[in-house]
Amino acid sequence: MNYIKHKLEVIKAVSLVTYKEWSAYRTHSMVSIFVGPVYFIVQYFIWTAVYSGRSELNGMQLSQMITYFGVTALIGYLTMDFADWNLQMLVRTGKFLTFALRPIHHRFFALSQKIGHRILGFFFEFLPCLAIFIFVFKVNMMPVSFGLTILSIALAFLMNFYLNYIIGLTAFWLVQSSSIRRVFQLLLSIFSGGLIPLVFFPLPLQKLLFFLPFQYVSYVPAMVFTGQYKLANLTMTIPQIVGVQTIAVVVTALLSEVVYRASMKRFTGVGA
Amino acid sequence: MINKYLQIYKECIKVSFATASTYRVNFLLSNFILLVSNILFPLVTVMIYGSGASFPNWSFYEVLLIQAIFTMSAGLAQILFNGVLWATMRYVIDGSLEIVLIKPVDSLFYLIASTISLESLGLLLGGGIMFILAIVNVGAITLLMWLQFIVLFLSGLLVMMGTSLIMAATSFKWVGNSRIPEIFDSINTFGKYPQSIFNKATSSFTAFVIPVAMVGYFPAAALLGKVNLSMYVAIIPCILFTMIGILLYKHMIHLYEGVGG
Repeated sequence: MNYIKHKLEVIKAVSLVTYKEWSAYRTHSMVSIFVGPVYFIVQYFIWTAVYSGRSELNGMQLSQMITYFGVTALIGYLTMDFADWNLQMLVRTGKFLTFALRPIHHRFFALSQKIGHRILGFFFEFLPCLAIFIFVFKVNMMPVSFGLTILSIALAFLMNFYLNYIIGLTAFWLVQSSSIRRVFQLLLSIFSGGLIPLVFFPLPLQKLLFFLPFQYVSYVPAMVFTGQYKLANLTMTIPQIVGVQTIAVVVTALLSEVVYRASMKRFTGVGA
Repeated sequence: MINKYLQIYKECIKVSFATASTYRVNFLLSNFILLVSNILFPLVTVMIYGSGASFPNWSFYEVLLIQAIFTMSAGLAQILFNGVLWATMRYVIDGSLEIVLIKPVDSLFYLIASTISLESLGLLLGGGIMFILAIVNVGAITLLMWLQFIVLFLSGLLVMMGTSLIMAATSFKWVGNSRIPEIFDSINTFGKYPQSIFNKATSSFTAFVIPVAMVGYFPAAALLGKVNLSMYVAIIPCILFTMIGILLYKHMIHLYEGVGG
């Protein structure tokens, strides 16, 4: 019990400091209040044109598609992460040494930082954009299952963090890991479903994507929000896909620990 | 005077090549990633047409042509103008723009010339590959169409230059905000699709107010034989837009206090 209490105190302290630190740059976050709705308007026109004369496309109706893009934008504000950039910078400059000496796992510290950073995103990106989507664009932003949607978004938050953390750990081998980060971010932006729902991809690729971690960052929580999940002709109930998402997050967390331990054997503290 | 400026520009291009050859692995990798990522750029269009749907009255290759031209224009802008934003941002944060201001040349010219970056060649090349693929599938193009295309494409490039300068000017006041490009990228998205999918107010805005339609759509329309008088009229706001960018940037230099931030 004391262990959990101590962990919660660490999360509270680190996230609060991070929140205060980034609050100084809150207008940077508020750029999303302009950018998010503009991208949404473009998507609205694209899909309204594409659906002209059609009621359904790949099993999705126009209203579902519009909601999908609104939801994925909002999920992005809650799960956004750059743990990979932070970690590779710490390794490259040798500053990781200061974290290696602290009585706290760096991954836990980075996760606490992310919580603080995204609380800021919640107030200055998520809430204003949610209000714009509901009151200006009249998009239905009521999830089918409120509890499971929150759980799925929380899991997406963790999945995005663990994936980025693993990418950041590659800096222990590569030192300058900016190229691998860019490749990964490119793959994530396409295969997470942020550009287009994954059911639009060719069937063999959909089958492959089911076994990759990308869909759990954006596509799965968006589909949980809409109340129906389908990929590679496989239909699942919402509790089922959230269960699969939980397993995927646990496996990724364990993988990050394995890579972290291997990284520590390579750590010299010198930087480059 | 002009000779002096041409000489400086030539030297800056040489330095840019020398930088690229010094860090050639990073240069090649960056360009390869840009090339691949831009071949994937029309993915949404590919998926839409692959699903049997389409933009009304537009074939796949016609839409691809718009997006290819947009990519080429963006690639050229990245190489020629976009470095101004990052350089200005860095100088303003450090409070060290004086290093540029004391040089006996026009500061804006020097900043543009000294920030030429070949790291975006992949973007231009990716756009070029898509362009060739689209061109061979859209039917015959006459010499007049090519001439119209060149005029409109250069006008679109002016818009990209104006955008870069307005972004850079903004960074004088909005110190250190690396998200400034996102604002303009989001508006630019309107230029990547057939303007017929937008409502009248939006397409008028993208043609005459912030003329991003000139970056991709109008030059593509010229090659497809869909050009009309309003597209030529839209050249005027493109020129005005660039002039606003230049004047705004020079005004911000005038206000610059050198305190950093």
